[in-house]
Amino acid sequence: MLICESYHVPKRLEEALALWADAPEGSRLVSGATDILPWAREGRAGDVEIPALIDVTKIPELKGYSCDKGRIRLGAATVYQDFLTDRTLMTNLPCMPYCAIWFADDQIREQATVVGNLVNASPVADGTPPVVALNGEIELTRLEDGAVKRRTVPVVDFIEGPGRTTIQPGEIATAVTVDSAYGYGGSFQKVGQRRSLVISVACCAALVRADSTGTMFEDVRLALGGVGPRPIRLRDAERRLKGERITQELIQRVAESAADSVGSRSRKEYRRDVVVNFVRAGLEEALANQPEIGAKFKNFGETENA
Amino acid sequence: MNRKMRGRGMASSWYGIARTATIDRAGAWAELDDGGTAKIVTGVTEIGEGILTVLAQVAAEELGVRPEDVTIGDNDTSRSPEAAHAGATRQTYMIGNSVALASRDARAKLFAEIADHWDVPVDSLRAFNGELWAQDTNLRMSMDEAVKTCKGRGVVPVGSASFTAHGTGLDPVDGSGSPWQAYVFGTQIAEVEVDTWTGEVQVLGVWAAHDVGRAINPRGVEGQIEGGVVQGLGQALMEDYQTENGYTTTHGFAKYILPTSLDIPQINCTIVEDPDPLSPLQAKGIGEPALVPTAPAIMNAIYDAIGVRIKSLPATPEKILDALRNHVPGREQIAQSARQDRAEAHRRGL
Amino acid sequence: MPKIDLTMDVNGRKVVKQTDPHKRLLDFLREDLNLTGTKEGCGAGECGTCSVFVDGKLVKSCLMPAAKADGAKIETIEGLARPGSLTPVQQAFHKTGASQCGYCIPGMVMAATSALRENPDAGIEEIKERLGGNICRCTGYTKIFEAVEIARDVIAGRLPETALDEDATGESFIGANVRRLDAPSKVSGRLKYAADIKMVDMLQMQVLRAPMPHARIVSIDTSEAEAMDGVACVITADDVPGTDGFGVFVHDQPVMARGKVRHFGEAVAAVAAEDLVTARRALAKIKVEYEELPGVYAPEDALKPGAPVIHDYAQDNVIKHIPIRKGDPEKGFAEADLILEDVFTTQQVEHAYLEPEAGIAYVDHDDVVTVLSPSQNITHHRHMLAEILALPINKVRFIMSAVGGGFGGKEDMIYQGMLALAAMKTHRPVQLNFTREESIVASAKRHPSKVHYKMGLKWSGEITAIEFDMLSDGGAYGMSSEGVMRKAAILSCGPYEVKNLKVDTKVVYTNNTPSGAFRTFGGMQAQFATESMMDMAAEALDMDPFELRRINMMRIGSRTHTQQELTTASLDRVLDAAEAASRWEAGAPKVRGPRRGDLGGPDTRQPCTLGARIGEPTVTPTNDERVAS
Repeated sequence: MLICESYHVPKRLEEALALWADAPEGSRLVSGATDILPWAREGRAGDVEIPALIDVTKIPELKGYSCDKGRIRLGAATVYQDFLTDRTLMTNLPCMPYCAIWFADDQIREQATVVGNLVNASPVADGTPPVVALNGEIELTRLEDGAVKRRTVPVVDFIEGPGRTTIQPGEIATAVTVDSAYGYGGSFQKVGQRRSLVISVACCAALVRADSTGTMFEDVRLALGGVGPRPIRLRDAERRLKGERITQELIQRVAESAADSVGSRSRKEYRRDVVVNFVRAGLEEALANQPEIGAKFKNFGETENA
Repeated sequence: MNRKMRGRGMASSWYGIARTATIDRAGAWAELDDGGTAKIVTGVTEIGEGILTVLAQVAAEELGVRPEDVTIGDNDTSRSPEAAHAGATRQTYMIGNSVALASRDARAKLFAEIADHWDVPVDSLRAFNGELWAQDTNLRMSMDEAVKTCKGRGVVPVGSASFTAHGTGLDPVDGSGSPWQAYVFGTQIAEVEVDTWTGEVQVLGVWAAHDVGRAINPRGVEGQIEGGVVQGLGQALMEDYQTENGYTTTHGFAKYILPTSLDIPQINCTIVEDPDPLSPLQAKGIGEPALVPTAPAIMNAIYDAIGVRIKSLPATPEKILDALRNHVPGREQIAQSARQDRAEAHRRGL
Repeated sequence: MPKIDLTMDVNGRKVVKQTDPHKRLLDFLREDLNLTGTKEGCGAGECGTCSVFVDGKLVKSCLMPAAKADGAKIETIEGLARPGSLTPVQQAFHKTGASQCGYCIPGMVMAATSALRENPDAGIEEIKERLGGNICRCTGYTKIFEAVEIARDVIAGRLPETALDEDATGESFIGANVRRLDAPSKVSGRLKYAADIKMVDMLQMQVLRAPMPHARIVSIDTSEAEAMDGVACVITADDVPGTDGFGVFVHDQPVMARGKVRHFGEAVAAVAAEDLVTARRALAKIKVEYEELPGVYAPEDALKPGAPVIHDYAQDNVIKHIPIRKGDPEKGFAEADLILEDVFTTQQVEHAYLEPEAGIAYVDHDDVVTVLSPSQNITHHRHMLAEILALPINKVRFIMSAVGGGFGGKEDMIYQGMLALAAMKTHRPVQLNFTREESIVASAKRHPSKVHYKMGLKWSGEITAIEFDMLSDGGAYGMSSEGVMRKAAILSCGPYEVKNLKVDTKVVYTNNTPSGAFRTFGGMQAQFATESMMDMAAEALDMDPFELRRINMMRIGSRTHTQQELTTASLDRVLDAAEAASRWEAGAPKVRGPRRGDLGGPDTRQPCTLGARIGEPTVTPTNDERVAS
């Protein structure tokens, strides 16, 4: 069980940063709390006594999102359910609703935050690949001589391995900024042992924009999760698709080349098979999910689930 | 092969009712109470299967009251008669029959008094739904009045009973014996869709036909079948408690995967009633048997869909893709030779 | 520990309370406010028994620190309807029989309520998605779906309110769909399970569990734990006054590890303290010295010469072997036109009842040691506990509390002995509520099995002989293993009359988590092998699987595998019924899925694709604007 000496709910960012900077060793930041409570149980960390928990979700600056220059800044309190209820987020981040629907369940999505998921840096986190595909940058905030300082780090670089990130002592992750991908088709592929509340064996986020006639790939974004210690952006595959004619053969060829991106040692053959199929399905579904031209791709591939 | 492949498989099953290879027994007490209500006391009841309601129905039917008039006091070794355990698909059979017999005993006390009071033969009395009457007469009263009348004559209408199921032990050498006095049979069909890109199996339909003897509460029987099918589905496709050199590695529900609402096939139940000739209620049971044919039906359906046979449960997505990757068609050849041999035998007039 | 002040609106009433800073919203509701309709099923957000509304959004209260809900509006199962009344969702659950054991039901009702509040017109696919975080182990969800759809339509006015009424009864209550009498208390969260009950002056127990699977206990030092403030007692095997040992068939399991531990997670000692945190902290102060022993982790290894011995009484590690012989298998195989041989395995399976083990023990005014727990076998538990406590049988009383799912997993007396000992030692009521993790490591599982199968058949389809050899892992203790092997053997070759057979089922001790009683008691493992084999045989014989079964099925007058003559038999009827109901297209099982004409009928569901609501117009219509670049 999780035992803490004190639980702080700061209402201002400066207050949170000060509390965090001065917190006794072993203290933890809390966002959605959907991971820390299950963590402090038998089979994981067991009983844990923590001096202070600092809850950052009641800080106004961390709530909501803002849009600027083709980028969207998602405050650290943004929860996964927002991608299923907020039209602006759904249309501008078209891979996120499909990720969200696979993420845990409706109830946990009301609490679990995108930023918290990134900071936990689980290799099997569902939330990372779509953010990576959207060129996500995490915003890290600290107090320096009493002043609030911010820096941003691309999410692909921020996550170094299982549970390891480049966050520094005293820093709080306050937001993640992502590309608006309005007009793109988005998709998310995942397989586990069931469909709700399940950890992925592998997952794949895709974003696609075809030209106005639906013959060429104008832009493609692909990212994988669950197949290595860090999220993987399939830059090479993207390059091979961009500007090319959309054909089944090309998709299949590019998909097959993705198998080598599987770094996990466990269940490797299975993951290689799945990754190839996910890149293919991801592209086909994303094509079909494009807002206007998508209809053209409804029966394009094997994927009737678009 | 298309990405999504469908198929069907079937499996049958049988099962014995109540404790195995031994005498099973259960006791109950019954009382017709003031206001035309009833008290039933027995040593074991509800673990979720709905037996409380079944017992109320049985007692109501036998006593002539309504199920909601029945209070069931139970589950206490110091306050109720022995009825042994909640398991072995024995609740309806053992406790149900014991309550039926105890209720008949209590009703007999009441009927004896009322028959005398009305001066009619006792076998002309009938009671149902809170009313008591003498057949072929205008004599009729509420159970409330009946109990008052009975008590006014100095008799509290109480009854008790013990029900026995006669199983015998097995011979230690050849295993011969009669382990149960009642058997049930079942057959299930599963329809599946296999995603050959991920190995995921979705069960889309299950048809479950089970003999239950007599369905006391058909909706409750369906509930047992549906629950059994889904537990069978869980074992077939996802559930797997694992240890590594004795250390548990599936500590909680994040690792021990159970079916959720998204994994549930449409379950089509057919209740078959082959009455048990050896017990007053003629009912048998359904709790455990419902689960038995589900997993093999699903495995047979997977084979029908994609030609790989999973002989080691559970059929996880990984196992399915591994099987597809390493698939060597074999059985089809045996089938082919079987057909040829049969044809040859036929030609030779054998 | 300094307290925190919390203010909330709970079910329409203002609540101002001090509590501990570590409490989860779940703890605050259950312990501080006595709102026990909200259940703890897993403590890790994986089951949904604790779902509550916080500011109108359904969340899992085990994942929410209570402090996070400070100032919030909370709605629990108790707040959905006024006392004595039920909401349409609750009434629909009552009507359809959607509650069985009832433990998941408050959470399920909350999830259903949330689904219909979020989208009153939700289709079945969306409803299923919105219930996806709530696990039910009893019902198979089907009656729950039916209930939510009825409630949705009644609320929307598409169905009359009478759709929620009980079905009418005809001339008999036998065969009538009488609504479950216990449902109102389950759908409203009023039914108290053992963990929901509080007694005055009650202590909380926690259990120290073995950190390794096989070890000799060199010493246990409880002195530091006993000296802690708030600790009422610490108990070990030394506190057992009578003959220590329980089990459904062989009494080989001590109340707590005696001299050695035989499986990971076995109880070694227990603490009863004023509160849970003190009890947890005291466990950490108990010093146990172990000497690790070589273990056995596979049943095949248990049978090898020189294998470590797990119980002294069973030097060969065999718990039970059940043989069944009938006819002359050798002759039967010689007559066969086709012999199939194969191996089938099944895994260890957890019961996963949503209610973890829980109980209370106390010594009453008549000096009767009373244990209240969701036990599936109070009769046998009373006998065993009287021996363990060396008390006359009428001085031991078992009360079966509401059972939140059993499936055989609550037939073993794995914790009631500890509770009784602590109650006797302190003369205070003592409560123990397992965590999910504790339930999983300490409770019995379905036996994993390996079956070597050999079946001989004629081209006509007649089975001429079967050889069936099952080896099962019983784990560290005997529990129900003997009975499970017996049932597996009796049912082994399925509902078919087989003239010649040789059946052996054997279960052995290992240092794995014990296996015990689980719905079907060995029947499922055995018949999985048989029914797979029958399908393979049907393929080899180029025969429809129904036909093959009809050729061999047991009929009235058939002799079973144990040579019992059947006076009734209904396989013919259930085969006909299933075949007709499913519109089965006849044919041999030769991978004909792609060519079948009987697939995808109205009696199947659509495959789940997830995202039923994405793109639906009902999603909150905020500004659908492109972000300027």
